[in-house]
Amino acid sequence: MQKERLNNLFETFDPAIRNIILGVLDIEQEHISMERPRVKDQIDEIVTAAAKKEVERLSVEEPS
Amino acid sequence: MKLERITIENFRQYCGKQRVEFAKDDQKRVTVIHGINGAGKTSFFLSINWCLYGKSVENIKVIDNVGELMSKEAVNLAAVGETIRTSVDLSFLHNGDRYLVKRILHGVKQEDGTVRVEDTDTFTMMRTKADGQAERVNNPIGTMNSILPANVREYFLFDGEKIDNFAKPEAAAQVKQAIYLVLKLEILERARRHLEGLASDYRRELKNKSGQQLRDLLEQEEHARTEIKKAKERAIELHEEIESAERKIADIDKRLREMENTNILQQQRDRIEKELKQRRIEMEEIVNSVRDLATAGYFVVAEEPIKKAIQLLEDKRARGEIPSDYRQQFIKDLISKMVCVCGRPFTDGSEEHRTLLAKISHGLPDALQDEVLNTCAVLHAFEQRTEKHRAEVDAFMRRRSELIDIIRSLEAELDDVSRQLKGSPLEEISRLERQRENFKTDIQENNIEIGSLHTRIDDFTRKLTDLKKEIDRARRDEKRETLLSTKLDLAQRSTDAIGEMYQTFADDMREKIQDKTKEIFKKLVWKESHFQDVKLGPDFNLEVIDRYGYSARPELSAGERQVLSLSFIMAMSRISDEEAPLVMDTPFGRLSSHHRNAISEHLPVLASQLVLFVTDEELRDEARQNLEARIGAEYRLEFNSKTSCTEIIPLR
Repeated sequence: MQKERLNNLFETFDPAIRNIILGVLDIEQEHISMERPRVKDQIDEIVTAAAKKEVERLSVEEPS
Repeated sequence: MKLERITIENFRQYCGKQRVEFAKDDQKRVTVIHGINGAGKTSFFLSINWCLYGKSVENIKVIDNVGELMSKEAVNLAAVGETIRTSVDLSFLHNGDRYLVKRILHGVKQEDGTVRVEDTDTFTMMRTKADGQAERVNNPIGTMNSILPANVREYFLFDGEKIDNFAKPEAAAQVKQAIYLVLKLEILERARRHLEGLASDYRRELKNKSGQQLRDLLEQEEHARTEIKKAKERAIELHEEIESAERKIADIDKRLREMENTNILQQQRDRIEKELKQRRIEMEEIVNSVRDLATAGYFVVAEEPIKKAIQLLEDKRARGEIPSDYRQQFIKDLISKMVCVCGRPFTDGSEEHRTLLAKISHGLPDALQDEVLNTCAVLHAFEQRTEKHRAEVDAFMRRRSELIDIIRSLEAELDDVSRQLKGSPLEEISRLERQRENFKTDIQENNIEIGSLHTRIDDFTRKLTDLKKEIDRARRDEKRETLLSTKLDLAQRSTDAIGEMYQTFADDMREKIQDKTKEIFKKLVWKESHFQDVKLGPDFNLEVIDRYGYSARPELSAGERQVLSLSFIMAMSRISDEEAPLVMDTPFGRLSSHHRNAISEHLPVLASQLVLFVTDEELRDEARQNLEARIGAEYRLEFNSKTSCTEIIPLR
């Protein structure tokens, strides 16, 4: 399926980046019939969740 | 997506409820629905589209210029005021789940025979998972967009008469859009664009914040702590110097006490200093007492209003507007016993009797009377307390004045002693006294400096408290800033990642579609040796190259254009690997038998499910034979000219 092909397309990237892209692609797919979808907040949620995990991971790896 | 079943109710010429089961087996995957022109093929085709998408999705027209959707015969049969229901149920499988979508439109028959149709239809989607659990889908439009978006549907559910659109010379934009939508390049492009926009927002937000603020505050905190530390250290030094000076003074005093010439003066000084110390302690206690009285004497401020209130009540009492101090019950008892307050009996109508009656007539209810009496008592208590308080303050202040005089007098006595010692003809005595005076001055100066240091420590301590609050706030901001910075990094890297992969992916998809279109086209077109190649360039122009190497598209016949379009659609379907049915309304109308035979031979293999709406002429002879083994369901649409309704007759 094309979706799996897209998943594979980003498999060499950092998991955080891959998860963001795949999450955003799902949102875009859900709104594909709209010309100007209002998806900014939903995409921000995905990026924020990924960033929180990243900050947490870095604070564990590099305790100050 | 694989269609299972459709139930049509009162939709256009389909009156009542009618059902069709679609062929969906791997071997028998073709459903053929026969109908002569006007029998209802297009209405059936529209019912599938309407059920899935309604009349339009956003600004994408799904059903346009097709007249009323509600069955006219159903309206005709209904009584005035009766509700008529038009509905289409469609069941399909997708990714292992079964979906049931239902669209309903209600209308009420009016007296003039017309029908008042509801403004909006009702769309419901249910999903049954492989384990049998059924659930209502909360976001049916979003889910349909994930399965088969409205703007992609036209490449899978299409009108055969418009099928040649992709092969027209001016169709590059349509071809590009089809590839973008079906092969999900559009969602990649949108994802990149939206992530980039978000990264810009984060960057802008980050620019407005600055970590410098926290660094500045921490520096200020460090400075304040250093200053407090320095002040405390200096205060300790000064205390040590004071102790040292006091020890030296004590030594001098001891020496002066031992010396015969200074013995008396030193003893006098010891006594004066002892008394001075006591008076200073007393002075400090008085100052503290006055401060306490001032803090607790808030009610003194109300002295004037209290006096006015008491005067007001007294005046009213004098005028008889409020009761006297006598309770009403007490006066009533006196009247009933005909006895005066003094115990002397009186007669009816006497002076005493009239006075007591007047007090009763001016009386107030007992509860209010109690309130008035209580208020008077409280106000008097306040008045007395104010007077007492004032007296105490006055006493303390008088004593303070006395003490000031005493202290001044004692200090003058000390000065006199010191002057006598300094003026002693004996050098040692004079020197000792000057030393003593210097030590005293040092102590005084040190005490002044200590006082100043305490003020400084207090100021910096207050500043530290404020700084701590600001630092906490800045730390919270910085935490947000760290998060924002990480968000920016992730959004930008995601944008870059899509950008990096996008062109490769798009070129790869385009080349794959080009090759597949060529492969299918060569199978379907009967002049395969004339058409050497199919090209889909970076500009998305779909080109057919003839054996001379020239573009042959402008010369393609209508049938050949249809075959090229069909090849392109099938190629997209194959490359995308989407399991979508191919539903074609009159697909062979313009095709000659050569093409018809070739398509009927190859199409069932290329599509995972095929639904064909055909006229009898479209599917016959070899074309029919080619499909025969693949047909799993077959229906005939019979139009009843008496009712103007179509009945779906199952043939297989």
